[in-house]
Amino acid sequence: MTEFLQLLVAGVSLGAVYALLALGFVVVFKATGVVNFAHPALLVTGAYATARLTSTYQWNFWLALPVGIGGAILLALGIQRFLVYPMAAQAVTAITIMTLGADLVVRTEVTREMGAVDLLAVIDPWGNHVIRLGGVVLPVTRLVALVAGIVLITAFFVWFKLSTWGIAMRAVAEDPETAALMGIRRSRVAALAWMLAGGLAAVAGLFLIVFPTPGFSSTTYVAAIVAFPAAILGGLDSTGGAIVGGLVVGLSVTLAQGYAHQLNFLGDNFYEVMPYVVMVLVLLVRPAGLFGTRELHRV
Amino acid sequence: MSDTRLRPWYFTVAGLALLLLIPLNKDSFYDQFNLYFPLTTQTFWLQLGLYAMAMVVAALGLNLLLGQAGQLSLGHSFFVMVGAFTYVVLAGAEKNTSTIHWVGLSWPPLLAAICAVLMAGVCGLLFAPVAARLRGIYLGIASLGLVFVGRHLLLNVWPEFSGGSNGRDVPRFELFGLKFVTAPDPSERLYLGNVALGREELLWYVFLLVVIGAFVYYRNLVKGRPGRALRAVRDRELMAGIIGVPVARYKGYAFLISSMYAGLGGVLYALAAPSRVSVDEFGFILSVELLAMVVIGGLGSARGAVFGAVFVWCLKPVLNQYAEAGSIPFLAKPGGSGLEPGVAATFIYGAALVVLLLIEPGGAAAVGRRLVRTVRRAPAGPAPNNTPNQ
Amino acid sequence: MSHAAVEVETAALSVNAVTVRFAGVTALDGVSFQVGPRAIHAVIGPNGAGKSTMFNVVSGAYRPASGSVQFKGADITRLRPYRIAGMGVARTFQNIALLPHESVEENLLLGRHHLTRAGFVTTALRLPQVRREERRHGERVREIAAFMGIGDKLNTAASGLSYGDQKRVEIARALCVEPELLLLDEPAAGMNADETAAMAHLIRDIRDALAVPILLVEHDMGLVMSIADRVTVLDFGKLIADGTPTEVQRNPAVQHAYLGTGDDNGSKGG
Repeated sequence: MTEFLQLLVAGVSLGAVYALLALGFVVVFKATGVVNFAHPALLVTGAYATARLTSTYQWNFWLALPVGIGGAILLALGIQRFLVYPMAAQAVTAITIMTLGADLVVRTEVTREMGAVDLLAVIDPWGNHVIRLGGVVLPVTRLVALVAGIVLITAFFVWFKLSTWGIAMRAVAEDPETAALMGIRRSRVAALAWMLAGGLAAVAGLFLIVFPTPGFSSTTYVAAIVAFPAAILGGLDSTGGAIVGGLVVGLSVTLAQGYAHQLNFLGDNFYEVMPYVVMVLVLLVRPAGLFGTRELHRV
Repeated sequence: MSDTRLRPWYFTVAGLALLLLIPLNKDSFYDQFNLYFPLTTQTFWLQLGLYAMAMVVAALGLNLLLGQAGQLSLGHSFFVMVGAFTYVVLAGAEKNTSTIHWVGLSWPPLLAAICAVLMAGVCGLLFAPVAARLRGIYLGIASLGLVFVGRHLLLNVWPEFSGGSNGRDVPRFELFGLKFVTAPDPSERLYLGNVALGREELLWYVFLLVVIGAFVYYRNLVKGRPGRALRAVRDRELMAGIIGVPVARYKGYAFLISSMYAGLGGVLYALAAPSRVSVDEFGFILSVELLAMVVIGGLGSARGAVFGAVFVWCLKPVLNQYAEAGSIPFLAKPGGSGLEPGVAATFIYGAALVVLLLIEPGGAAAVGRRLVRTVRRAPAGPAPNNTPNQ
Repeated sequence: MSHAAVEVETAALSVNAVTVRFAGVTALDGVSFQVGPRAIHAVIGPNGAGKSTMFNVVSGAYRPASGSVQFKGADITRLRPYRIAGMGVARTFQNIALLPHESVEENLLLGRHHLTRAGFVTTALRLPQVRREERRHGERVREIAAFMGIGDKLNTAASGLSYGDQKRVEIARALCVEPELLLLDEPAAGMNADETAAMAHLIRDIRDALAVPILLVEHDMGLVMSIADRVTVLDFGKLIADGTPTEVQRNPAVQHAYLGTGDDNGSKGG
């Protein structure tokens, strides 16, 4: 039983990280209609910057982290301003594929900067400490991730529902033309959405490179791609769905990993494809994700 | 006064002639005339060309699905993988050693190849109902799931098919008794004039035939009733149904044909491989590369697919080749410092994707059309059966 | 010339108690009417009355919550749109639904889809039957294009045409379906008085040439009154009148809901 509880807690904390990641992705989609395939690149940039600054340049973690997050935000803003915005007149598919190209470019640049190094460990204040709560052993980093996730997600939703900019963003998401007529600058809202995406991705990225992972490496990118199935299964246009999607993915991956022995008829390392299996199962029942809106066909 | 205008078919014929003569462009050919030609075809280029041709076929399939039918699929590499490994399992021999356990049926290679293509088609048909229920990016990411799940299945659940992470040997192709290998003894080789036809040369001609067939098939589909219906489904799905196109059925057809193209590309890929294929060659990266090929070439355009496939596929090996020789200053030699050619190649086609979509979303095909129009100084007519909805 | 109410048995198209609901809104509420075999039947009503929804139900794009639609005696309520097209129901769209980058000819040929058979194998192999079929249907398309006055524009991209010509292509495409029922969605939208009169003539010519019923949604009262044999009036999804143009014009409920009180003949409605 404690094993299950252990996996549950671990799964929820991992889920919180994925929720942050998926949320940023969904926010950009809701505010601009763009499917941002460069989202993993945002995560990778933030994570890489933080890792590089703390390990190679030995910066203080609490200095490196904001710089890393800032870097991701700047990158997001740059992509929005210089690549997405000029393409505003084109079909959404074209913009989506363009973000794929941008993702490739950023990714290769980061690979180049890594150089001959395979792994970059980040020096964070929590190290490999664990805490024990009634039989459950949890890495401190995961606890911090859970807390940070809850705080950020709550803050986001409060902001989204109540603040002026949050309301503006929801207005643009629901009816861009009317929002524009009401004086809301869509370009500003778009920039804000992308900045949020960058920031959230960078925070998520941090938790994907601290203990228990060895550090920043090429597998960080693979972990970042999980944002897609998480967001899709929750419903691409639902911020609540992103949270649920992230939690579902985090939980299912952790449980699959924990019960790998019982599941070994499904093959080794089945937990790696768990997000996609869950996503396909959800889509079979609800083709627009758990909370996504089904298209209303009007000719 | 005779009409000396350059007609398009001159170029086609010239291009075909060139392609036919490339494998014969060897020292041994020129020797018999006591000639010397500096630019002869090395095996490296033939090998590269074989892979590129496999990618052309796969790209044509993706073009049908994305460019014509407008279905965003990131899972195309899954069907390529199915084609490749079905061929390997059907045509390959069983092998059981202490470290290796491969299943193989030792079928005649041609039969195995045809069944591999059909198998890929079956997989496409199985996925089609799922695809019909999903829209846009949901379909794209669900199809991405295909790639990851397929990879997992072949790698971890059925390593006896795939050879696991080490991959497995590809059986040599054979057609009516002619073995497509490079015989070690020169006297046993097939000769055309003075030129010995080894594995790469023989495969080149077979591949060329297949590619031309695939190309013509695609062109005919696009120009005719099926292409018209698919484009209507892509641009105005609701209207297409009301006008009389069975939308779900046509989406299914699009998946069927495109996955068969992908499977055929997979078979060609396996045949092109010098020795082995492994699952990791058919992952997410290949899916993205295929998408890049089709977009860079120009969505919907057959010639664009050829250009895009050759461009994206050949970038890395070409850069590698020249980096090794040290001819490109900023590229690293193996183990040296500087930009790794593989990374540089990805960067280039990624950047090409971004730049093209920013300034000429019609891809290389649109650029080509514009060039031709400027040369001929003709006004623009309707887009030739391929430009997707702006 | 007055047309008596059409009996259900002889009607070409019979709409019976159709109700359509979307997300809490009742777009159509128990609407019933019949269209006679050679009638020009207009459906009018203020914006949001449910006219286009009605068209979408008839062409199969929407499934009604209750009620049925019969065409030539067969129940088409739950049929897929392409099957309905296969039975000869052709329509135009309010916002031009042409393929903008394709030529007019390609757009028209799309209408021939259900009449042709060239498939994924036969087309790719360019078999002789495919070539014959292409020739035959190409000729028919040219005929129809000439009838609609766009014969010289077959090779132009649809987006390069004027609005009026695009509307002609829409109608021509519907004719290419070889319709046994023609649904025209606001054929006179965006037209001035002269163009509208020409459109009225055209609609009558089509009905006379093909001898098929035409169901049209229109705002332009002048057009409706001049060529419609029967008029059905919708308001807030409900049928409030059904009869000859004169009868409907005199109906106080219609006057109240739509025409306003007084002489608004010939002016475009809201």
